[in-house]
Formats: sequence, structure tokens, C-alpha cells
Amino acid sequence: MPDMELQLGLALPTPNIMKGFDLNNHGLHHLKQTGCFSDKSKRSFDQAFGNFKQDRKTKTLLLWSGQPNEEEDHKDQKKTTFSAIDDNDEEEVEQVVGWPPIKTWRKKIFKQPNGAGGIENNRVADKEKSRSIYVKVKMEGVAITRKVDISLYLSYQTLTNSLIAMFSKDKKCGDDDYTRYILTYQDKEGDWLIAGDIPWQSFTRSVQRLKIIRNRD
Amino acid sequence: MHKKMAFSFPDEVLEHVFSFIQSDKDRNSVSMVCKSWYEIERYCRRKVFVGNCYAVSPRMVIRRFPEFRSIELKGKPHFADFNLVPDGWGGYVFPWIAEMAGALPWLEEIKLKRMVVTDESLELIAKSFKNFKVLVLSSCEGFSTDGLAAIAATCKNLKELDLRDCEGDDLGWHWLSYFPDTYTSLVSLNISCLGSDEVSFSALERLVGRCTNLRTLRLNRAVPLDKIANILRHAPQLVEFGTGSYTADLRPDIYSDLAGAFSSCKELKSLSGFWDVVPAYLPAIYPVCSKLTSLNLSYATLQSSDLIKLVSHCPNLQRLLVLDYIEDSGLEALASICNDLQELRVFPSDPFGVEPNVSLTEQGLVAVSSGCPKLQSVLYFCRQMSNEALVTIAKNRPNFTRFRLCIIEPTTADYLTLEPLDVGFGAIVQYCKDLQRLSLSGLLTDRVFEYIGTYAKKLEMLSIAFAGDGDLGLHHVLSGCESLRKLEIRDCPFGDKALLANAEKLETMRSLWMSSCAVSFGACKLLGQKMPRLNVEVIDERGPPDSRPESCPVDKLYIYRTLVGPRFDMPPFVWTMEDDPSLQQLSRANLM
Repeated sequence: MPDMELQLGLALPTPNIMKGFDLNNHGLHHLKQTGCFSDKSKRSFDQAFGNFKQDRKTKTLLLWSGQPNEEEDHKDQKKTTFSAIDDNDEEEVEQVVGWPPIKTWRKKIFKQPNGAGGIENNRVADKEKSRSIYVKVKMEGVAITRKVDISLYLSYQTLTNSLIAMFSKDKKCGDDDYTRYILTYQDKEGDWLIAGDIPWQSFTRSVQRLKIIRNRD
Repeated sequence: MHKKMAFSFPDEVLEHVFSFIQSDKDRNSVSMVCKSWYEIERYCRRKVFVGNCYAVSPRMVIRRFPEFRSIELKGKPHFADFNLVPDGWGGYVFPWIAEMAGALPWLEEIKLKRMVVTDESLELIAKSFKNFKVLVLSSCEGFSTDGLAAIAATCKNLKELDLRDCEGDDLGWHWLSYFPDTYTSLVSLNISCLGSDEVSFSALERLVGRCTNLRTLRLNRAVPLDKIANILRHAPQLVEFGTGSYTADLRPDIYSDLAGAFSSCKELKSLSGFWDVVPAYLPAIYPVCSKLTSLNLSYATLQSSDLIKLVSHCPNLQRLLVLDYIEDSGLEALASICNDLQELRVFPSDPFGVEPNVSLTEQGLVAVSSGCPKLQSVLYFCRQMSNEALVTIAKNRPNFTRFRLCIIEPTTADYLTLEPLDVGFGAIVQYCKDLQRLSLSGLLTDRVFEYIGTYAKKLEMLSIAFAGDGDLGLHHVLSGCESLRKLEIRDCPFGDKALLANAEKLETMRSLWMSSCAVSFGACKLLGQKMPRLNVEVIDERGPPDSRPESCPVDKLYIYRTLVGPRFDMPPFVWTMEDDPSLQQLSRANLM
């Protein structure tokens, strides 16, 4: 246990321009280290950098659950929802937000090739001109409507990951941690349906708008 | 010879002399010479800069400078750009507008960065300032095109409307038609961040056509390529132009139309935009390339060969923003062609990919540092680096003032030796004596901070991520960097000791941000209690920090100096550590 009463022991002759106002010596109570962050001093690479494209069990404010899987029987997965997770468990791997440090709008510029599947050599394949499909996304309770380019995504999962990232900062403080959300969309006929029931490709051809609503059940 | 000479200029003479002094720093120095200079200076200061909107209150600023015409305000911490600051943290401009509305009817310019700007604020600006001329919103949010419509409709003398990197709700282009037909004073319009697909080209063309002083026009992605020619023909005097989506079916008539329009723009110095670029249409801009000093290709998904071709037409470039598709070969070409280059930013095309998708390494940066003698500002994203390269770069370019290197995978070591990159960054701070801004990355121990504390005497802003071993690292920086104003740190094992040992240093800085570090709640409380002129804000979305043991680290910490104590507009997940209660009475009494 580090003894907080000691002066900060410096080996270097760094000239300390500021007069030594050292709060370490001003009636500081002995701060005990609990198990909270005992190994924080050397954060392992894996902990520090969770590539959130992979399927990790990370804690986020809104969590996608009940993901539709193309192979599964869709009848069993009627509801696709967001659910918020109470993030009090300090043992969990933290999701790396904001790394690399690129402004949000820069990330939206490209089509991201899906990690697997991939590009043959390291050069970027010539882009085929594929039409962008911008749809408006409204989240219940949030004033600002956003837009996504559906053509950038390859599955419901990648879409919802992106929506989670986009809207997690809009989560109103009034909502409790267990507010659940449903992703709905308006199809070509103007009907509002729950997203996830039809295969992804059909969905991209049909979707006009998206809306994230609170699950009132 | 009389030893004493009664020697004083009339105020008007001093005022006239002061009018030549524009920079804030110089103005501040002038105001400290003596009481009478302080008084004269404060009445004639026309431009006010407030680096942290919570450091001071609008009333105090207006009281001290009753006649200013231009104000620049900054709100959220820089890391808000990367989603590290939760929404709702603060930075609302409305209270400032409200105070200025009554007191400064002749206000002409408002420049805001990282603030929340509501439509209400924009409407109040439009209503309150009859001679309003310049609105620059940089990385702001909270408004919609409705607010812009209010500005357009009411501000008859508007010269500049610049929305850079903003996030707003785009409800369509009809707001552009709110500029009256009689309105002709536009000089600069930047709407590149707006997203609407419903474009009223005729409104845009008419606006551009009647504003003959238009110098800067930056369109957004929704404006297609085949509309550019018309727009340029209406404004051949443009100096800065940003295209929209630079794509169309390949048609000779569109091409020649476009090429012709660009050729008629004899004043163009800066180009940007180029979303969705089709390489076949690039040669249309060749006629203007030789005069270009600034080129922003950071949205352009061009291959290296196309980029090299383009750059080879632009020998006078001073500023280049580009994606890493340019690769090392492109940067080598750049280094040989563009000898006037001062600023280079290379952004990652695949920031989340684990494997490199392009052949861009440290060599590109070495080449540019060698071939461009005027290069002073660099932002470079790459996947590998070596100490050897960094030392070479430092020796090549001791004139760097801004050096931001982002090695994409955190804690990446020197790929040649597998050592930390301490020595490399150490060389940067040692050789680049005028370095003002530095961003670190890669595998770094406390040693790099030792170098920084020892050598980086002019450093004003430092960004640190996933680096260091312990408190000693932070202590080196806080105790050694004399010019430090802004320090932002994430995911480093820095705890209480260094922070508390350098508490007074924090009052000499604008702000300190620490997130995912090891600073305990107890230390935050202590700092808040003992340093009344600091706001120590704990930002924690997990819930109140006192629901956990005091030794538990806080999630995020934002400390800034202030004359006005804790703010009143905090959301539920932000707590300001209170001053000593007995001191609190005293400091409040002194405020007014």
C-alpha cells in the first residue's frame, strides 16, 4: 500500500516552477486501495482496446438483444429490441469509445468492408458505384432526427450497432437503465413494422424510414 | 535635463495606438501596464476571446469590455469530438446571447466552438443585433435549419455564415430562400455539414448570383456534380470552393461544362468536398490547380495513383488534407512536388480494421518531413512507427509547431525494435523547440513524459492516451511544461499523487481532462475543496460517485479554472466538487 504521507519521491532534478503546494500533505486521509482498480496501472492490451466490430460481451448503455439470424426461424424472433444495461460491474471489459480519435462525421464517409470476407490484397478494391440509401432515423424522445445510409450495412446487427453508437448519447437521463427500445421501420406501402422479420436484403429495398420507440410492454 | 517629465498622451491617442494591437495576448499585456491603460484598453477592445465559456460569466465580460463587437466562445472539452463527453454535459450559448442581446446591440460577430446552439439562440441573435455580420459555428450542435432561416431572413448585413463540422437537424433547403431578394452582402457560406437531400438549386444559384462579393462557398454532399458548373459560372470570383458529391455518369457534355466553369475561376485558391469522387472528373479542376494553396481531399476515396496525378498539378500547395489512400508513394511524390507545404493531415480510410488496408507507414511521414522545409503542422494516422523514424523526422523538421501522431492500435511498440516509442517522441520535443501542440500514441512509458517535462517548454496542448506507468509520468508533465494550457488524458494509469502534488499548476492552465484513469473520488473532493478557483467536475454515468467508496476512481474528470465557481446548468451525471463551505461565502461575496 503506498504511503500517502510521503513526498512524491522524484529522482529527477526537474525544476518545480510552482511553489510546492502539495495537497498530498494537507490533511489527506489515507486512501485505501480497494479491489476496484487494483490492476489498473498496467491495463492489458485486450482490455484497453476492444475491437467493437467483433462479437465481444461489452457493456454499453443500449444493448442489442434477440438478434435476428438469417438462418434461424424468424417466427421465434418477433421482437428485436434495444435494452439498456446497468453498468455497475467493474470487472467487465470496457468498450473503447472514441478511439482512434476521429470525429464522428468522418467515420460516416466510407463503406466499411466487412472484416471477414474481405478484400483480396491489401489494396482497396475499386469501388463499385452502389447507390446510397439514406433513411431518416428518429428516436422517441430525442429532438434531433438523424440519417443513416442503409447501403453501408450488411446486416441488422451492423445497423443496430451503429444506431446504438449514434443514439446512446441521446439517451435521456430520465429513462432508467432498463428502458427497452424497439426498432421499427416504414416500408414502401407506408406501413410501420418491426425491424428484423424479413431478410436483410429485402429490408434494404423496402425501408423508407426508421424509428426507435420505447417498448411499452 | 529634468529628471521628471510630465508625460501623458491624451486617451484618444492611446486608443488609436491600441487599435493596432489585435491579438488578445498583447491586449492583455497592454491592460496590465497601469490603471489608466487598463481603463482605456477595456473600452476600446473590440474582440473578446473566451477559451472556456464556464471560466467567466457573460455579465463579467460585458462589464469589463462594454464595447466589444466580436466574441469567440468555446464550450465543450476537445475530447467531445470523439464522443467522450456525454450528451447534455453543457456548453449552452443561450445565456450568453441573452446577456449580450440587451447590452451590446452593435455586436457584429459571434464565433462558437463546441457549443450547444439552439434555434432559440439563433432567433435571438437575428432579432437582437441589427448589424450582425459574422456567424461561425464550429463543431456545434442543437440547431436546425429553422434557426438558420431566422438568421437568413433578418440579418441584412450578414457577411459570413460558416457551419463547420456541425450536427444539426436538416429540415430542407427552404431556409436558403429566406435570404431576401435584396440581400447581396454574403461573402462566405459554408454549409458542408448539412445533410438534406431536398435541394433547392434555384434558390442557391440565385443567392450566389446576386452576392457578387462571395469569396467562400462550401457546398454539402447533396449538391450533385452537374450543378457545380452553373454555380461557378454565377461566382467566378470565388477564392474558396467546396464541391458536393463529385460524381456523375461519364458524359462529355457534363465534363466540358465543368472544366469550362472551373477555368473561369481565376481566383480559386482552396478546394474541398469531393465526396464520392469519380476520378474521370478530376482533370476538370486541373486549370485551377497551379494556384491552389489549400486542398481538402479527406472525403475523397481516390487511389494513390489518382492522388499523385492530382497533386502533381498543385506545386503551390500549403495545406493538404487527404486519406491514407495516398500511401507512402504518394507522400514521397508530394514531398518532391510541394515544397511550400506547411500543413499535412492524413486520415485513416479504415480506422477500425485490424490489418492495414493501404501501404502507408512511417516512411511517408519521413519523406514529407525531409522534402517540405516549411512543414510545421502534421496530423498523421498510421499503423506502424519506429523510434528511428521519429528521430529522423525530428531532426529534419525542428520547425514543427503541431505534431499529432496517431498509431491506430493503442500501445503499439516500435516495430523494428519492439521498444517503447519514448525516445522517438523525446526527439520530437527536444528538437522542435517551438512545439505548441503534441498528441502521443503507441507504447509509451513514464520516460517519454520525462522528456516532455524537460524539453517541451513551449508546449500548450498535450493529448495522451494509453500511455505511462504511473503518477510520475503525469508529474513530469505538470511540473515541467511551463506553457501548458490544455491537457487531455484518457486510459492512463495516472492517479491521485501527481494531481494533488501539482494542484496549483492547474490554476495556470485552462483545463485538464482525465478519463478512464485512476484518480479517486476522494482526491477529487480534496482538490475541489482546496482550490476554489478550480471547478472540479466529476462526470460519471454510473451514478453518484459517493455511492461508491472514496477510493474508487471516477470515470471522467474535467478540471478548469474559473472566476465564477460551479456552474448551474449541469446534467444529473456531472458533479462539481464543492469548495470549502467556509470559503464559499467569501468567494461568492467577491463575485459581484
